[in-house]
Amino acid sequence: MTLSAQYLWLIPALPLAAAAVGALVPRTGRALAAGAAIAALVASFLVSCVALVTALADPAAKLVYNFAWFDLGAGVFRLGWLLDPLTAFMCVMVTFVGTLIFIFSLGYMKADANFKQFFCFLSLFAAAMLGLIVANSLLLLFISWELVGLASYLLIGFWFHKPSAAAAAKKAFITTRIGDLGLLLGLLWLYDSTGSLLFFDGGAGVLEAAALGSLAAQVTVGGLVVSTAIGLLIFCGAIGKSGQFPLHVWLPDAMEGPTPVSALIHAATMVAAGVFLIARVYPLMQADALLAAVPVHALTVVAFIGAITALMGACIAVAQNDIKRVLAFSTVSQLGYMMLALGVGSWVAAIFHLLTHAFFKALLFLGAGSVIHAAHHEQDIRSLGGLSAKMKVTFVTFALGTCALVGVPLFFSGFWSKEAILHAAHGWDVSHLPFYAAVLGVVLTAFYNTRLMAETFFGKPRSPAAEHAHENSPVMTLPLVVLAVCAVVLGFLNTPVWPWLDTMLLGKTEVHGHSLMEGAGLMGLSVVLVALGLGAGWALYGRRTRVSATAPDPLAVKAPRLMAFLAAKLKFDELYDATVGRLNSASAAFADFLEFWVWGGLVTLLARLGEFTGLVNRETDERTLNGGFDNVSEQVRGPGRVYSRAQTGDVHGYLRFLALGFVVLVLLVVMGGAK
Amino acid sequence: MSTPYGELLIALRPEICLVGGALAVLAVDLPKNSRSAQARLHLSVALGLLALATAYAWNLSAGVPGPLFGGVLTLDMLGQATRAGVLGLAVLTLGITAGTSRLRHPAELVAMILLATAGFTLMAVAQQLLLAFLALESASLSLYVLAGFDKTRPESAEAGLKYFLFGGVSAAFLLFGFSLIYGLTGSIELPVISAQLALTGPSPLLVVALVMILVGFGYKAAAAPFHLWAPDVYEGAPAPSAALIASASKLAGLALFVRLLWPGLGAASGNLSGAAGWLPVVAMISGASILLGNFAALAQRNVRRLLAYSAIAHAGALLLGVIAAGLIGPGALYYYALTYGLATVGAFGVIAVVERSGRCQDITDLAGLRARSPLLAGCLFVFVLSLAGIPPLAGFVGKFVVFTGALQMGGIASPAGWLAVLAIALSAVALYYYLVILKQALVVAPAKGAAPIKVPAPAALALLGAAALIVLFGVWPSLLLGLFQ
Repeated sequence: MTLSAQYLWLIPALPLAAAAVGALVPRTGRALAAGAAIAALVASFLVSCVALVTALADPAAKLVYNFAWFDLGAGVFRLGWLLDPLTAFMCVMVTFVGTLIFIFSLGYMKADANFKQFFCFLSLFAAAMLGLIVANSLLLLFISWELVGLASYLLIGFWFHKPSAAAAAKKAFITTRIGDLGLLLGLLWLYDSTGSLLFFDGGAGVLEAAALGSLAAQVTVGGLVVSTAIGLLIFCGAIGKSGQFPLHVWLPDAMEGPTPVSALIHAATMVAAGVFLIARVYPLMQADALLAAVPVHALTVVAFIGAITALMGACIAVAQNDIKRVLAFSTVSQLGYMMLALGVGSWVAAIFHLLTHAFFKALLFLGAGSVIHAAHHEQDIRSLGGLSAKMKVTFVTFALGTCALVGVPLFFSGFWSKEAILHAAHGWDVSHLPFYAAVLGVVLTAFYNTRLMAETFFGKPRSPAAEHAHENSPVMTLPLVVLAVCAVVLGFLNTPVWPWLDTMLLGKTEVHGHSLMEGAGLMGLSVVLVALGLGAGWALYGRRTRVSATAPDPLAVKAPRLMAFLAAKLKFDELYDATVGRLNSASAAFADFLEFWVWGGLVTLLARLGEFTGLVNRETDERTLNGGFDNVSEQVRGPGRVYSRAQTGDVHGYLRFLALGFVVLVLLVVMGGAK
Repeated sequence: MSTPYGELLIALRPEICLVGGALAVLAVDLPKNSRSAQARLHLSVALGLLALATAYAWNLSAGVPGPLFGGVLTLDMLGQATRAGVLGLAVLTLGITAGTSRLRHPAELVAMILLATAGFTLMAVAQQLLLAFLALESASLSLYVLAGFDKTRPESAEAGLKYFLFGGVSAAFLLFGFSLIYGLTGSIELPVISAQLALTGPSPLLVVALVMILVGFGYKAAAAPFHLWAPDVYEGAPAPSAALIASASKLAGLALFVRLLWPGLGAASGNLSGAAGWLPVVAMISGASILLGNFAALAQRNVRRLLAYSAIAHAGALLLGVIAAGLIGPGALYYYALTYGLATVGAFGVIAVVERSGRCQDITDLAGLRARSPLLAGCLFVFVLSLAGIPPLAGFVGKFVVFTGALQMGGIASPAGWLAVLAIALSAVALYYYLVILKQALVVAPAKGAAPIKVPAPAALALLGAAALIVLFGVWPSLLLGLFQ
């Protein structure tokens, strides 16, 4: 069975239709809204599977379908869909993980009054995300990109009656918009230089040799090549959406949304859109790679930003106490790894990690959701504890997810994908600093995850909520089990021995991976690193578990100032408040002054003028003409027959006016023509 | 050579369908029967929809494009698309009628709508002065009846009579203009007229003839200074009639006149920098309409009168589209007129539904519509914003293509450019009075004792259909604009 690229629109259209259903049914139509959402996503998943089979039949081909959207000047503006292995893998991942999370939400959101709205927003998100993936035009991608931002805003602020949730939603939207401005500028620049926004268009697309050659041949400000400048602008969008330094501040706050949202949007799919974007426009990012005399290569910036984010996220995660925030910073850190892989030239490693991460991070978030649901919305790990016995399924699946995230060797997917990134970073010839950052990040990841496990599941329950927690219903645990299986087996799709995913994504036909021995040294190193992190975590948190919710953290006892600094998230929020926030307030005050006193005055003046003209018009139109003849008709009316009003008066005036208009126009034209 | 009646019959199948449908509606309703007025209305509307659908299908398979029957008719893209457009607008009008009408003679109402539509479709394809005039008049006569159809309300009779008198005088001007053209060129066929005018050049008599034709045109389009009927008619006529007058009639009129002016009288267009012809006259009418319509609308308190003045303002923009059609073709004008028609039918449809459960004259009668009927408020939101020209609705794209077309004519520093700039500037003014409507509907609380409004299913379908089309055409303009490539 194959799918023509022409019908790719089905994949996003199905959830979009479900969103429409969700929007239109009344609040009581809970079953209908949720049923439509899940059914549509399952259908979308099936279509995606067919698309995957089609794409893998010839992995090197770019199947595109372009169509005219509207006419622009002399040309036609076109949009299109694109099917290649990257698209297909992403579609399958999003629809599969999405379906599981939708099902989990059935249980998690059961008691919520706005249940149907939740599924409407989720479907809207899925539609936008899938649209982003299948787009063959940077503009279509940008539109979907903004729509996922909107869905994310709606879902973070889903419990908008909580001021913190409303503020977090706003923060997420505005922060990502800053990055999107860059993306928009890049898009405009690209259109200006190439006259197209289609990725692939039979040789005329922006990612094809002709356009890339011309972009790489032009030099702009600061000696930058145009392709570098556009690439960096596009990367700004990825920085915002994927929570990269320095725009990562919104992602932890986004955890104010319901936990399924955190799992789907802020861990598995949307935040990975930045990584996907860079992978999609990789030929553009790489166009400057062979030029020696440029101040900076686009991918070098990507690599350093990724490395900084990876290390920074892991550091901050060590000192967080909210179960979801630990996972959020771990997401920031893992996204950093993906960017690092992109930057050092191995986009397939980035996509591999994106796929495995989507599964195990969704698993971890849903596990956290399961804990939170069972513990009556207690999210502070200091107050949890002892859940391993009470919630066996959640505990085992969460542990498997943690092993995958930490990268426990051989049997977990995260190990293989992280290995691929470390291997690529090690082989990068520009600098070794990102590699060292990544290595340090691996130790920290193992450390903070051990802490998370130990605090949440071991020891004794430290609050009444944890005391009374018990396992959730199968509708919530079943998705955990499925995701846990995936978190283990997915790694085998791309091992050094059998690099199937690499060959598919790169469009090669034969398999030749680097030998196991070649990477053995690195692999040994990473085994040691993981063991080091796990050991340190166990020594501090596992050996003697916390006795009460208020007991001090063992690490905080040893280095109180460092921990406080990390717990405050390196004070980024404070820094932004003091700089950008202040500046913004000052300019807002200035704009307010201008608005109120200067423009406001002008507008009022104009409005008065307009009102006056309008009045004059109405007076002439109705009083003088109508009124005058009304008077006449009043007199003609005599004994007050209502009927007469319609026959006399007004109409005569109208017709006279018509004749007058005719005469004036003739005179004007004749005199105008005569001169 | 024998007269090709067979060809004519095939080309006129839509009109035959419509007239046949009108007669069928009347015949079915003729026998005295015990059915309720409601049932009779629904039966008539169902028959009417059938006739419109058949006409639509025939129009799609209308046969060979090109002049027909010795050049009396022409089947080209503008004609076909206009036919399809007026048929669609008539379907929406019937939907609104089915949901709201409580008039005593439903079959006659539906039959008049069908007859008017037959006039419109004929206007769309006429290429000869006599046929053009006949088509125009047959449409107009039906519209006069429709405007005065509600015999229980004196306002409706007043509207019908005013419309008739005004229309009659304008038709006289138009016919006089046509006869002068005939006297000057010796023909009523547009191609021959065009060739003759190119030979003879301008004369004062031609100017008089042109302005006379434009009086008829200005009346049809409700453009200043021939607009005076519009506010009274919009206010008094039953809502479905007003919807038809404001939408399909305008679309067909513009198609007829753009065909008459450019291919027919193009040689006498003159130019915008002063040479005598019809182009400067149209420009003056356009500017006057934009100014008067927008400013007078600001002072309105009656929602129907407000829509009338907004129609006058839009007529100004449409005339700008007529001017630009010489350079960029009629596609932009068609797009603007059709999408404007959709929004207007929708707005009158909302008024019609609101009127079922009370008054809907003052803007304040719409207060709290959001609470009384979210569906109506949502649809009104789309219609009014499209009228105001807010993206991504079709009204925006319509303005965009017409204004860019006008700006292409000579840049921003030419008379067409000034008109475009004027129209753009006054669009901002227009936003104010459109938002006044929306403020009442969406923000202000309902009046005490205002009950929720139940929207009848046919009207709901028609309104949702119109709103959906506005969004669709706005998001995907090539659907319409692509026809004219």
